[in-house]
Amino acid sequence: MKTVVLVSGARHPVSRRPALTRLEAQAASLAAKLGGTVRGLHAGPSDDQLREALGHGLGEADWLEIEDRVDPVPALIDHLKAAAPDIVIAGRRGEGTGDTGLVPYALAEALDMPIIADVVGVSPGAGSGTVSIEQALKKGARRRLVVQLPVLVTIHPLAPPPSPFAFAAARRGTIRHERIEATGLPTAKPSPFVERPYRARPKMMRQAGAGQAGEKAVLVGPTPEEAAERILAFLEDNGIRRYSA
Amino acid sequence: MSRPRIDPRAARASHLVSTAGALRPRLDLGRTGPVSPTGRPRRDPRREMAVSRVSSDGRPRFDRSHQGSFEGLAPSNKTVVSPAPAAPKLRIVAEPAFLVFAIMEAPGGRLTRFDRQLLGAAHRLVGSSGEGAVAAIAFSPIADLGTAGADRSLIVEADGASASGRARLLRGLVESFAPRHVLFAEEGESADLARRLSVSMGEPILTDVEHLGPRQAIRATKGRMAEEVGEPPRLMTLGEDRAAPYGGETCGARTLAFSEEAAPIESDDAILSDEFIPGDPARLTLSETDFVVSAGNGVTDFDHFRKLAAALKGTPGASRVVCDAGLMPREAQVGASGTVLAGDCYLALGIAGAPQHLQGIAACEHVIAVNTDLHAAMIERAGLSIIQDAQLVMPALLKLLEERGS
Amino acid sequence: MTPAAFLPYLILAMVVLAGLRLGQRVMLWRGGRAAHVDWMAGLKALPKRYLVDVHQVVDRDKSASRMHVPVAGGLVLASGLLVLGLVPALAASRLYWTLVTLAFLVMVAGVVLVARRRYPQPMARLSVGRWQRFPIYLAAFGLGGLVTAGLAAIGNPLPALSFVTLVIAAGGGLKLAFDAASGPIRHALAGATHLVAHPRPNRFDHDEAKGRSTGLQSIDLNAETLGAKTPSDFAWNRLLAFDACVQCGRCEAACPAFAAGQPLSPKHLIADLAAASSGGHHRPYGGHAYPNERPVAGEGGLHAKVISPDGMIHPDTIWSCTTCRACVEECPMMIEHVDAIVELRRFQTLELGAVPLKAEEPLSHYRGCDEPNGRALAERTDFAAGLRLPVLKPGERADVLLWLGQAAYDLRGQRTLRALIQCLQAAGVDYAVLGEDERDCGDLARRLGDEATFQRLARENIAALGSVTFNRILTADPHALHVLRNEYPAFGGTYDVVHHTAFLAEMVAAGQLTPQALSGRAITYHDPCYLGRYNGETEAPRALLDALGLERREMARSGKRSMCCGGGGGAPSADIPGDTRIPDIRMGQAKETGATTVAVACPQCTAMLEGVTGERPEVKDVAELLWEAVQASATAAPRDSRKAKELEPA
Repeated sequence: MKTVVLVSGARHPVSRRPALTRLEAQAASLAAKLGGTVRGLHAGPSDDQLREALGHGLGEADWLEIEDRVDPVPALIDHLKAAAPDIVIAGRRGEGTGDTGLVPYALAEALDMPIIADVVGVSPGAGSGTVSIEQALKKGARRRLVVQLPVLVTIHPLAPPPSPFAFAAARRGTIRHERIEATGLPTAKPSPFVERPYRARPKMMRQAGAGQAGEKAVLVGPTPEEAAERILAFLEDNGIRRYSA
Repeated sequence: MSRPRIDPRAARASHLVSTAGALRPRLDLGRTGPVSPTGRPRRDPRREMAVSRVSSDGRPRFDRSHQGSFEGLAPSNKTVVSPAPAAPKLRIVAEPAFLVFAIMEAPGGRLTRFDRQLLGAAHRLVGSSGEGAVAAIAFSPIADLGTAGADRSLIVEADGASASGRARLLRGLVESFAPRHVLFAEEGESADLARRLSVSMGEPILTDVEHLGPRQAIRATKGRMAEEVGEPPRLMTLGEDRAAPYGGETCGARTLAFSEEAAPIESDDAILSDEFIPGDPARLTLSETDFVVSAGNGVTDFDHFRKLAAALKGTPGASRVVCDAGLMPREAQVGASGTVLAGDCYLALGIAGAPQHLQGIAACEHVIAVNTDLHAAMIERAGLSIIQDAQLVMPALLKLLEERGS
Repeated sequence: MTPAAFLPYLILAMVVLAGLRLGQRVMLWRGGRAAHVDWMAGLKALPKRYLVDVHQVVDRDKSASRMHVPVAGGLVLASGLLVLGLVPALAASRLYWTLVTLAFLVMVAGVVLVARRRYPQPMARLSVGRWQRFPIYLAAFGLGGLVTAGLAAIGNPLPALSFVTLVIAAGGGLKLAFDAASGPIRHALAGATHLVAHPRPNRFDHDEAKGRSTGLQSIDLNAETLGAKTPSDFAWNRLLAFDACVQCGRCEAACPAFAAGQPLSPKHLIADLAAASSGGHHRPYGGHAYPNERPVAGEGGLHAKVISPDGMIHPDTIWSCTTCRACVEECPMMIEHVDAIVELRRFQTLELGAVPLKAEEPLSHYRGCDEPNGRALAERTDFAAGLRLPVLKPGERADVLLWLGQAAYDLRGQRTLRALIQCLQAAGVDYAVLGEDERDCGDLARRLGDEATFQRLARENIAALGSVTFNRILTADPHALHVLRNEYPAFGGTYDVVHHTAFLAEMVAAGQLTPQALSGRAITYHDPCYLGRYNGETEAPRALLDALGLERREMARSGKRSMCCGGGGGAPSADIPGDTRIPDIRMGQAKETGATTVAVACPQCTAMLEGVTGERPEVKDVAELLWEAVQASATAAPRDSRKAKELEPA
């Protein structure tokens, strides 16, 4: 099985140095555990993030060097068409450039691969050419899919934690470097949006008891049975759980 | 000196409440504001403050982030209010000039907080002019769409469809209704769907929007180094807790008619099998679960407690004291130094509520406290407080659950 | 021939047998990595190392030093004399046999002292098993030799008895010789060689600063294997060191992790490492098991993985260590336990990435932003808003460079730093900080085995320090002090680093600070390991506290033999569970003195000791106490200005 792990050009949130995101580290570890040939892939101006991914379990990687302002998707598509991997694993949202999370979808569309989002586990399927994928849903639910290869998956934060970084592994891993000239590649489309420095905006405050119209009940010294009734009624009224058979 | 003068008599008359049979005229200064001579409605700063006030206890806190909702507060000069409490007013948009789609997730048929925020944001895009309408799109039936702010509802029963099937279906809907905006939650399946739609339509999308107004949308980019600002495009995903839920009049939630042909449900060839595994609350991590049953100092019988958590279908949690004493595993610790919860509901058994503990449950919508101390901080925080020994309530709860189960 | 005449041959046989057996061990040592050893200097220094350095440690337990002189002395003397007995003229001399008898008598007297440590009840820290049987073989050899030689001295009146005692002596002696490579007697032969070929010869150099011999040694990051995976990855003289262990258990008694019930015993660890190279323990280990022992397969080999549940030692064992060096300080065989543990950790971290889950976090922060808590370097000086804290830009100079360290991010540590900065201002010191250019010193990364991160931080810090001019580095963090002073020179950064207690003591002595006496308070001073044991600085903080007029009480363990707070070596990040917490134990010791204040001099110790819950003495940094006293004098001395002072806002 051939697996490619996509690595974005993320930066560390504090130091702004190139750094691998946790999701991509999880992706690298997941791919390494899957076995087969596993390669990292990054298109961007530096290979620091790839080097870090090697330390999280990837043995080899491809670095498509492109300039900062160039859209990485065409280069990635060309590379993946040639490499023809069975599985492509990406973080649910890359960081560093647009941060839209669209790249995996664009790749899947161009390569005509199905894409499965929010994956927490990948294991070889029972039949040949298939893979069993576990997807995280709300409230701890999971969906287990058996999918025909090739497939592109994006990783959910609840996937197994990344295997810790090992310096020696990063040192031993090899990165194949390929320089992609900007000429001939369409640069990223001019955005209709104005870009300006980021200003942090506070999130809305979560109000205690929102949705229950400020109702606040205090029962002083009820009998335990009465208390139990009230608790269950509260849980059912607010739709938390249903207990009747 | 061209400022028009206020006519006090006219102002007074506008406050006048029905005087039939009354000895002296009664005025209601709050209901109908005076009309300024310019005809522009006047702001009532006191009411705005009252509305933006978040908590009523202790130090007042104000949430001014949702300016839009004040529009509804401005005294209207059109309606003459009748004193009798009429039936709840209904917002009806008969012939919408345009539609704004809000894609609901609503697991289990109930709107989540995020869903309500999405409808609130959609209303900001629609504006209060009454031209446009908010259409809630969902793949399974949902209750309460009207109060949450849906002028139209479009339920396509497609629970079994794959993500790509839903994306195709949604594309069909978007193409046939041509909504002005389509709003998604930047979370889970909605986020996935939004991107699929964007790629398949070849239309740009603004993801994880942090600020959304009728004329401006802002999102962070380049790892939060920069932000993009511009006119709201058609496709957008909204970040969690970035918009206030809709708080206006109940909306019509009329069913939007559509033809099945326009939006066929197709299966996905690549997916060979699809098995849904419901979450087992007992084995979920605290950060993932929606309902935590938690034990503190007031609980002494932990076998009972574990049984109760299982019977309530909740995830067991504990206070720091309990974990320090080794009565519950360290992973079960709730609070600033343990896990900060994201769940909907928290049942605190015998927990007084240290500040660090309360930090851990800050995001919980519903809190139930069972404690012997009426003055405990947890009681202050809870929506339902039971002043009783948790050790006594636990067996009663278990017994009741057994009866219900049989 | 008389039976006594066989005794010299017995000794020869013993020497040959011991030689053969030890030869096997030497072959194992040669399986280790090469190491540079100055044999001549080592041999020359051997008597001093043995008689001074070793003796100083052994003598802390009088029963050990008292038994050691007659047993070892008698054994060596008797054996030496007996070898001379090969000269026929001597063998016939009664006087000669009398001398031999006396030598054996000395030895037997020693054996009695040895036996008294073990029978009827062995001391708690001693190993039993073959160690418990050791005095029996010594006694057999000693008594057998004594009677045989004694009978020879009086003319061999009872040849039959002489023969029997000769057999007993031969039995005991040959058993001792046979055990030379695996039994207790190994400590003598390996120990002597270890003293000659010690991997840290400078620790015996009393003229050199203590810290020089306590800093961790760096490794080449381009080497084939990083750290120690198998016994063969240790330098050969380290393997030799493990064999020198006498299992006296002093390390175990001093180990804070052992006391707290964490799965670490330095003695067991060294015994495991010694056994690992030859395929595991051939006989059951005779000491205490690791507390809350994790199950391991117990299989070893010169080229087999050491740290693994399938190997000799469980990973939790090496991650329990606080690197406090209490074991090294107590070891009479001069074994360097901490070096071995860090070497093992390096392999785990650098090669396998197998750090404990919680320790991965600081390491990943280190890689991301040079700071173990993931804080921005620019925020380091934020706490000092309102204080004058000049930042040196490249090319500028100051007399004293204040190294703030990690404490600047911690609310508690900031209180100490504030007090220190105010003292500096009051004393009129020309000080400045590096500001954003100060990265973490890398102490935690290095102790957690992440040598790559440490070396990078060291180089970047040295570059930053090289861009400004200063005379001294002042720091309130002994960990930073140790790393800057003793571990940065290997990367080309040699600085005069001073701890704030020493610096402030200097200021007070020079009269630049005039503290008023803070009477009526009993304090006890907790020595930080990295200041006291690592750098030998135990006097300055005490002098400073005495200058404040405080009633100073000493804990049972203080100075260089102080007990760790549990905060070093990344142990709090690794967080290996035990029965109790180390700071609780240390705080208990502080409470026993009846002191109301524990004076500390390290932000780690402050954090750990303040984390102790319940009724306890308050924890104050020496700088805080001094600033309190300086303020007291400022308000008390100028009586006229008192009123005006009171009007000022606090």
